[in-house]
Amino acid sequence: MISVTPNTSNVESLDLANLTPEQTALEIRNLNLHYGDAQALHDISMNIPKNRVTAFIGPSGCGKSTLLRCINRMNDLVEICKVNGEIRLHDKNIYDKNVDVAELRRQVGMVFQRPNPFPKSIYENVVYGMRLQGVNDRRTLDEVVERSLKGAALWDEVKDRLNASAFGLSGGQQQRLVIARAIAIEPEVLLLDEPTSALDPISTLTIEELITELKEQYTVVIVTHNMQQAARVSDQTAFMYMGKLIEYADTNTLFTTPAQKQTEDYITGRYG
Amino acid sequence: MNKWFKSGKPYIWLTAGAVSVSLIAVLGLLALIAWRGLSFFWPAAIHEVEVQANDGSTRVIIGEVYDREEVPIRRLQESGVTLEGFDGEFLERQLFKVGNREFVPLDFMWVMEPQIIRDETPADLAVLERSKDGNFYGYVVDVLENGESVATPENVRDVLFERIERAVELNEQASDLQQGEIGAINYQLNQLRLEARALDLEGNLTEAEKQRLAAEEEALNAQYKELEKELFAYREAASRDSVVMRDMRGMEVTVPMYRVLDATFPNDMGVLSKLGHFFVQIGKFVSEDPREANTEGGVFPAIFGTVFMVLLMSVIVTPFGVIAAVYLHEYAGKNAITRLIRIAVINLAGVPSIVYGVFGLGFFVYMVGGTLDQIFYPEALPSPTFGTPGVMWSAITLAILTLPVVIVSTEEGLSRIPSTLREGSLALGATKAETLWRIILPMASPAIMTGLILAVARAAGEVAPLMLVGVVKSAPMLPVDGNFPYFHLDRKFMHLGFHIYDVGFQSPNVEAARPLVYATSFLLVTVIVGLNLTAIGVRNHLREKYRSLEH
Repeated sequence: MISVTPNTSNVESLDLANLTPEQTALEIRNLNLHYGDAQALHDISMNIPKNRVTAFIGPSGCGKSTLLRCINRMNDLVEICKVNGEIRLHDKNIYDKNVDVAELRRQVGMVFQRPNPFPKSIYENVVYGMRLQGVNDRRTLDEVVERSLKGAALWDEVKDRLNASAFGLSGGQQQRLVIARAIAIEPEVLLLDEPTSALDPISTLTIEELITELKEQYTVVIVTHNMQQAARVSDQTAFMYMGKLIEYADTNTLFTTPAQKQTEDYITGRYG
Repeated sequence: MNKWFKSGKPYIWLTAGAVSVSLIAVLGLLALIAWRGLSFFWPAAIHEVEVQANDGSTRVIIGEVYDREEVPIRRLQESGVTLEGFDGEFLERQLFKVGNREFVPLDFMWVMEPQIIRDETPADLAVLERSKDGNFYGYVVDVLENGESVATPENVRDVLFERIERAVELNEQASDLQQGEIGAINYQLNQLRLEARALDLEGNLTEAEKQRLAAEEEALNAQYKELEKELFAYREAASRDSVVMRDMRGMEVTVPMYRVLDATFPNDMGVLSKLGHFFVQIGKFVSEDPREANTEGGVFPAIFGTVFMVLLMSVIVTPFGVIAAVYLHEYAGKNAITRLIRIAVINLAGVPSIVYGVFGLGFFVYMVGGTLDQIFYPEALPSPTFGTPGVMWSAITLAILTLPVVIVSTEEGLSRIPSTLREGSLALGATKAETLWRIILPMASPAIMTGLILAVARAAGEVAPLMLVGVVKSAPMLPVDGNFPYFHLDRKFMHLGFHIYDVGFQSPNVEAARPLVYATSFLLVTVIVGLNLTAIGVRNHLREKYRSLEH
């Protein structure tokens, strides 16, 4: 059995099935997703609590990234992708016709697998979202840059070279820059799609520490194929398999006393 | 041997060989046109040769050795030349450029090598470069001022140079006046005439208007009279001096100084002064107007026309090509129709350029231009303004010709941008248009520049379509000048490529034009390389700036 150190942080466990509205960030209701004729997600329903870290785990191709990308409608970019069901943010279905997708994505930020800084300076990368909203006041932007870079634990390393190209940073620094860029526009939910899979162990550790800090202000949803990572950083974990949500529980519970056989097989390394 | 084949070495040799052959071909081409073109500007020695004809009579020829060749004696005999006392199969003959066009029937002359009985290069022989009738070769005898001698045999060269300088300066002042102020007055007079016509057409030509226009015309005419007086004064002052030359017939000829542009004594020059003269001649070639049906003088209007037209074309083709590529790549549905359009665009690049010329003439010049004239320039009709070939139609025609190149390379650039960057931008709440404008297009700019480089390279060398839509042998005015609105896009223009064709094939004097063909070709290549290097410099700068992530 893989040695999994359960999350030691003292968060009271929640009744995930019956969250109060104050505790809820997102409600996913009967979500089905088809790529053409192939169904990628089967009837997913779950509640994602506020100011907590929720992890999606599962073997490759189980649909965990697809589910994550549903939350800020990144799947809209895929033409053959069809979504049925609801995802409710502020008690409003984000798949409603009158939803402004750009506005939704401002509320639900996303960080991708590989660091993808823009070919601009560090400063311009961070303020990109602000500039999109028409904020061009230098003083405001300066404040945003400092706050976001501090929030992403990058400030001390780059404060002397804010106008240098973002490509000069190391992979781990780039990923933290991307996180800073995402939190600069103060989203409510932050989606992290395997944020450390392209990074070395030390950078991974830094990002993981950062994630634990981020939940103070944001609801974090992370996809990871690394079970130790899920165990280290998340408060509750969802195990997915073949496009189905198999088990969703407190991280401690899920890793120590999984209710489903499939979950147990997976976390004990029998497949995946 | 078998082992050698398996080792893969033959393929290295094969590929390297192919590269070498291409490289040698390109460098050889450049070296040939550079050598042939540039040697034209090097001051050649002037020979004085005495030639004995078959009947024993002799005559003197003064000129530059222009070419030599070996000819079979039999061919000479067959063509009716009788030669006596020569053995062997071949005979060398030399082509002399003897100049003095107004006094000899042909300013080029073949001389059989064996007939030359004396060949000297006296230091006193001079070449006069003249504004009419080409070069004059001979000895400087005297310099005259109002018909009176002002030089002694000792100081004749100094006096000559001094007087030439004066005459050249006066000529320049005269031509500045003519092209500058007098040109402006002519332009204004023409505008007044058009204004009167326009008012007449609208039925607003009242007596008051008539009087105002007449008064303005009067004032301009008065100004013109003043300037004309000044011009005649310059001309008269310039015609004060003249130089007396002794030519190869031994006769003394008086050449008016205002015709003389320069005098050189190439036989009396060291290497350094020849080098100086060489660069001065090159400078004149690129900065002066052509003379005598393009066979003499410089090519400045052609350089200007080429560069101006190409820049205008770039300004037109870049936005159109980029916008079309953005639509095709970003917005158009990925279906059969899009693919069909893309194939059609690519195939457009294969349409022969003369077809674009015909299209430009029929559609742009006659249809669009003709309509523009009727709407905006009815006062100038029946003489067309835009309904006739001009630099704008040339630029637009070439823009269409090069559009596929820009579209294809822009699309290529767009597809090379990692999708993670698009997603990154969209995930921050950017719309597709904002992502395009802020991230995608800047990152695609090196590819756009590549397309532009290819477009410029193709357009700058195109001649055939231009002959239909705007190029002329000799344009009296540049498309840009000091008269409002400064850019005259309706004017015809000169072009280096067409200039090569014109000088090489349409020239009355083939021998005299040949070096100019090489020199102009070399210049055209230089201009295109210059334009390309500028664009490549910009592209490399952009590439460095938007260097994509190393994944």
